[in-house]
Amino acid sequence: MITFIIRRILVMIPQLLLLSIIIFLLAKAMPGDAITGAFQGNPDADANHLEEIKEKMGLNDPWYQQYGRWLGNFVQGDMGMSYVHKQKVSSLLAGRLGNTLLLSIATMITIYLISIPLGIIAGRWHNSWADKLVVTYNYVALATPVFVFALIMLFIFGFSLGWFPITGSVDIRAENGSWEYYISKAKHLVLPTLSGAIIGTVGTIQYLRNDIIDTKLKDFVKTARAKGVPEGRVYTRHILRNSILPIAAFLGYEITLLITGSVFIESIYSYPGLGKLFIESISTRDFTVVSALVMISGAAVIVGTMLSDIILSIVDPRIRID
Amino acid sequence: MSKKSWLLLASLMLALSVFLAACSGKDNASEEGNTDSSGDKTEEEESGGELEFPLEVSNTDEGIKNGELNYAQVSDTPFEGTLSRVFYTNAPDGEIMDFFDEGLLATDGDYMITNDGDGAATYELSEDNKSITITIGDDVNWHDGEPVKASDLLYAYELLGHPDYTGTRYTFTISNIEGMDEYHKGEADEISGIEISEDDKTITLNYKTASPSILSGIWTYPVPRHHVGDVAAGELTIEEVESSEKIRTEPIGFGPYKVTKVIPGESVQYERYEDYHRGTPALESIVLKVYNPTSIVKAVKSGEVDVADIPADQYLNVKDLSNTELLGKVDLALTYIGFKLGEWDEKLGENVPDPDAKLADKRVRQAMWHAMDNDVIGKEMYHGLRFPATTLIVPVFESFHDESNPGRMYDPDKANELLDEAGYTERDADGFRLDPDGNEFVLTFASMSGGEAAEPIAEWYMQNWEDVGIKVELLDGRLHEMNSFYDRVRGDDPDIDIFQGAFGVGSDPDPSGLYGRNSSFNTTRYASEENDELLTKGTSEEAFDLDYRTDIYNQWQELMVEDVPFAPTVYRYEITVVNDRVSNLSIEPGTDNAKIWKWGVTEDKASAD
Repeated sequence: MITFIIRRILVMIPQLLLLSIIIFLLAKAMPGDAITGAFQGNPDADANHLEEIKEKMGLNDPWYQQYGRWLGNFVQGDMGMSYVHKQKVSSLLAGRLGNTLLLSIATMITIYLISIPLGIIAGRWHNSWADKLVVTYNYVALATPVFVFALIMLFIFGFSLGWFPITGSVDIRAENGSWEYYISKAKHLVLPTLSGAIIGTVGTIQYLRNDIIDTKLKDFVKTARAKGVPEGRVYTRHILRNSILPIAAFLGYEITLLITGSVFIESIYSYPGLGKLFIESISTRDFTVVSALVMISGAAVIVGTMLSDIILSIVDPRIRID
Repeated sequence: MSKKSWLLLASLMLALSVFLAACSGKDNASEEGNTDSSGDKTEEEESGGELEFPLEVSNTDEGIKNGELNYAQVSDTPFEGTLSRVFYTNAPDGEIMDFFDEGLLATDGDYMITNDGDGAATYELSEDNKSITITIGDDVNWHDGEPVKASDLLYAYELLGHPDYTGTRYTFTISNIEGMDEYHKGEADEISGIEISEDDKTITLNYKTASPSILSGIWTYPVPRHHVGDVAAGELTIEEVESSEKIRTEPIGFGPYKVTKVIPGESVQYERYEDYHRGTPALESIVLKVYNPTSIVKAVKSGEVDVADIPADQYLNVKDLSNTELLGKVDLALTYIGFKLGEWDEKLGENVPDPDAKLADKRVRQAMWHAMDNDVIGKEMYHGLRFPATTLIVPVFESFHDESNPGRMYDPDKANELLDEAGYTERDADGFRLDPDGNEFVLTFASMSGGEAAEPIAEWYMQNWEDVGIKVELLDGRLHEMNSFYDRVRGDDPDIDIFQGAFGVGSDPDPSGLYGRNSSFNTTRYASEENDELLTKGTSEEAFDLDYRTDIYNQWQELMVEDVPFAPTVYRYEITVVNDRVSNLSIEPGTDNAKIWKWGVTEDKASAD
């Protein structure tokens, strides 16, 4: 196992290096840059000073020099300064990452809380009315765009019923660290979480249901039944253990999605997270932020895949990794 | 899927669609109801009258002592949170700073400094207008109790001119200070043109040339040296200052409210600053929060928000709310059509017009301006929140915008006449005009994407031009993303003949930054001796005389209407919606109630619609 992990990490290095070159070249190929954009926005700004700054910041150097500088710093953990945010990229990302992680972990847990029981019900009693209800829900969820659904949730629970706050991640009036602070944070989390979770269950339910239906016809299940194992136990011990495999395999990928955030939900609920930051940084040409984010999510994908493999080998002893 | 489950799915979908229809139905109904109740307003609009908005709320009662105001920042992105006038990039941060930070000198309706506005300091210009002396009042203190010193203002200049400074605010009024060049290049440790009095309350700025630009462009925002740390003394670097928490989450100023808490990207809490130099601010606290444009209307309706700037596309949804008042003023912005007339010469650092440019004949440009029906754009696309522009100086500048200059109004007959006169008389089989030499005459039009209206507006103008026989095609047959649009326009892409863009206009009426010979932002590459002369005169020493300067700028506006390098298309209204409980709030620059400390609330709770 350890050699496997080490091997995977070694493979990761050239992968990331290649990724970084591609990202850097693509970022540079985009027309415009952050400084010109900012100067465009300030009508009193002096065009000569713009050129001076571009020169000073090395934006006029050939790409390989810029890339070398950027990579050198990156390896040392210095992701550079965001021109638009006037802040170290690392602290900018750290600030947003907390929100994004909180939101996506809550969303992921909610997704599993909804979809695992529903998937089991639908699979165990398939073709029953309950199964049909679950499947219908699943297709409606699949067909609903997240920005429409988030707005409907906002409208019903935020405005009409007024149960939950509609903007931000916490009420500024609550004192940091106090009981109200955590309550307020939780309340602010409810709508964005549900907006993402309720229509995000499709994959999990579908996989689980199909796999259970498949597995319950297999020979070893028949054997178990023939031996007189109670029906409930057949499902929890024999079938579920097998059917949960694809979901466990997906867990690694899900972790990748955790840090990329959701642009729509963050934007509609004015919830400052990484997803929105990424899109915004692309349109303002804030290269340092864009490159750092792509590198991080690229690394997360690679790590996530590895995690998937490891989880899989733990859940299913038949899968051996040497 | 079995037949049964399809049925179930279908019925569920049906149920959902009924539910959705019910939602939207309700909205329609309430909108219709509202239009009815304000029938007279609609008539007024129909009779051709321009929209008129008050600039000030009608509630003039004194606010309650412990009032809290909810201020909405309407934006679909979190604010960046660089809460320093020297370093910030975008407007949302500026909006946050207005509550806790202000300039030392008060400004009037033309955004020019004045001693009458009860400012934190007073100024005096020298006889030759080349130096200005600013004296800070004794009762002006930072939020932490330290007095505001002349050396704090000096510190702002030291940061702005610093060789490592990468922000956008090293402008003419800064670099025009004596010794600033040397300091900026790193050749001098101090700025020789700035003097500080012994008691550290008076500062004198000496300029290389006398220019009335300092009346509106002078930098009067001090930076609390003791709070953020001293770059000049080598305590920390510029980068460390701009990313410091002292600026981002614990900023101080000497404005009416103190920042008590910042939640990065989403909200800011302020409380009354008892020691404010103008008096005790009316509100006990203010909460500023970011609202997405899609949810702002509902938040205003429910009374959750007291004050919000409303995006134009939400205007119809707020205009008839019963719990609010709408205020509106003309924005410091201008939309235009630019005509490419030459190229930027990097070596000379100036715009070089090409006498053989496709659009070199000014009659063609004049005709194209006459051909554009901007009234329709304003009324149909922006519900009247935009209206035809006349000159290149926006009406916000009361003294400089020439009311009597009608610009070039929509007049296709005149356009045809001008084109005939210019020799574009012959037409091809499709009815399009040929150029005087009988060749095909096709113009390429670059326009930006973004917003629902972008495409129809571009199409509309092309239709307008077609109506007078000018064939115009979109660059690459499509609209362009903002960055690549500016990249190509600024880079003088030979494929571009005309382009549509927008300026934010600075608070300095001097147009040379956008239209001067030496400005690379002058993207039409227009230059003429007459233009040079008027722009120089407008910022000359004589122009300290307001009447003289007004006259010069009137002449300049006339010249621009004659030469038409840029055809201004529309001016915009900026709409602020304010809850009825808010008192003494004005959006008219320079007035008493435009100063935030006057704003109050007269009820404990905001009313809902």
